[in-house]
Amino acid sequence: MMPSTEVANKVREAINALKGADLQDPRLGEVLNLASQMSEAMRIFFSSIDRTLFDEMRYISSYIQRTRSEISNLRPTDLSEDRIPTAGAELHAVVEHTAEATNLIMAVAEDVMGADTSDPDAYQAYVSEKMMEVFEACTFQDITGQRIKKVVETLTHIEQRLERFANVMGVEDAELEETPEDRRKRENLLNGPALNGPEVEQDDIDLMFGTDDAAMNQNDLDAMFD
Amino acid sequence: MAVDMNAPVLVVDDYQTMVRIIRNLLKQLGFENVDEAADGREALEKMKAKKYGLVISDWNMEPMTGYELLREVRGDELLKPTPFIMVTAESKTENVIAAKKAGVNNYIVKPFNAQTLKAKIASVLGDF
Repeated sequence: MMPSTEVANKVREAINALKGADLQDPRLGEVLNLASQMSEAMRIFFSSIDRTLFDEMRYISSYIQRTRSEISNLRPTDLSEDRIPTAGAELHAVVEHTAEATNLIMAVAEDVMGADTSDPDAYQAYVSEKMMEVFEACTFQDITGQRIKKVVETLTHIEQRLERFANVMGVEDAELEETPEDRRKRENLLNGPALNGPEVEQDDIDLMFGTDDAAMNQNDLDAMFD
Repeated sequence: MAVDMNAPVLVVDDYQTMVRIIRNLLKQLGFENVDEAADGREALEKMKAKKYGLVISDWNMEPMTGYELLREVRGDELLKPTPFIMVTAESKTENVIAAKKAGVNNYIVKPFNAQTLKAKIASVLGDF
């Protein structure tokens, strides 16, 4: 079959040639034939467009349905209204409980340090009584341990659901834009406490600040960046 | 030169518990004249109003960090000579080096003990 553009050109040529001709001209038949071919070509062209669009729309619809289903599996309402607030409340309770215990222990220590020592027997009895308060305050550890375990379980739960979602949807990490808060943290080197103890031990820091031969000078410090 | 145990010490930390711990340790070491500030900005205001013999500061505080306080102090002709010890959980090499370059006199990583605090104060002020 002739390409549609070629058919259209031929029709245009034929029409131009026919201008002024009478209706008995045999070329009229040729024009009608070409018009018919063009009509057929256009029909096939538009039906292919319809089919492609239909397939595309069906794919998008299916993708949206799958996304809705996966988001539903994430149970976002459960996360935002129950699990995350509960985890936050647990951590808040841990902070409060540890602060309470620490303050109690420090108050006991301050009382003992300021106690009257003139009567050894009375002082010993007083210290023993105060030490019992310290033991009692230390019971916070068991409760905070249980609370933190619940928070860790929640985080693991969220991590697993998000990981599954990302895998199913083929999601890849986007480039993150630095927020003003991120920038402040970077500029002020706000890294927070390191896991498993300090990254640089106190002894190594002492070497940097010491005055003996083993101490690091500025060049040594600079060399750590090279 | 003998250490002036009456010289005021400024403890800068946003955790009241830590301030209380350091205050008690300083008291045990013989430093009775201790002031407190909850962040760098408050500390800077206090330092401009009163001469301190020593500043012991945390790093991670808002709105002004201990690192920013250190740089402000070292950039101010009047405050510049004030001994400055950083007591912080920031233990990355880059933190220690940045503090050293900014002019900190000593650096203590949390958690710390009384002996470490005493040793670092002695290294900055002299034996007492």
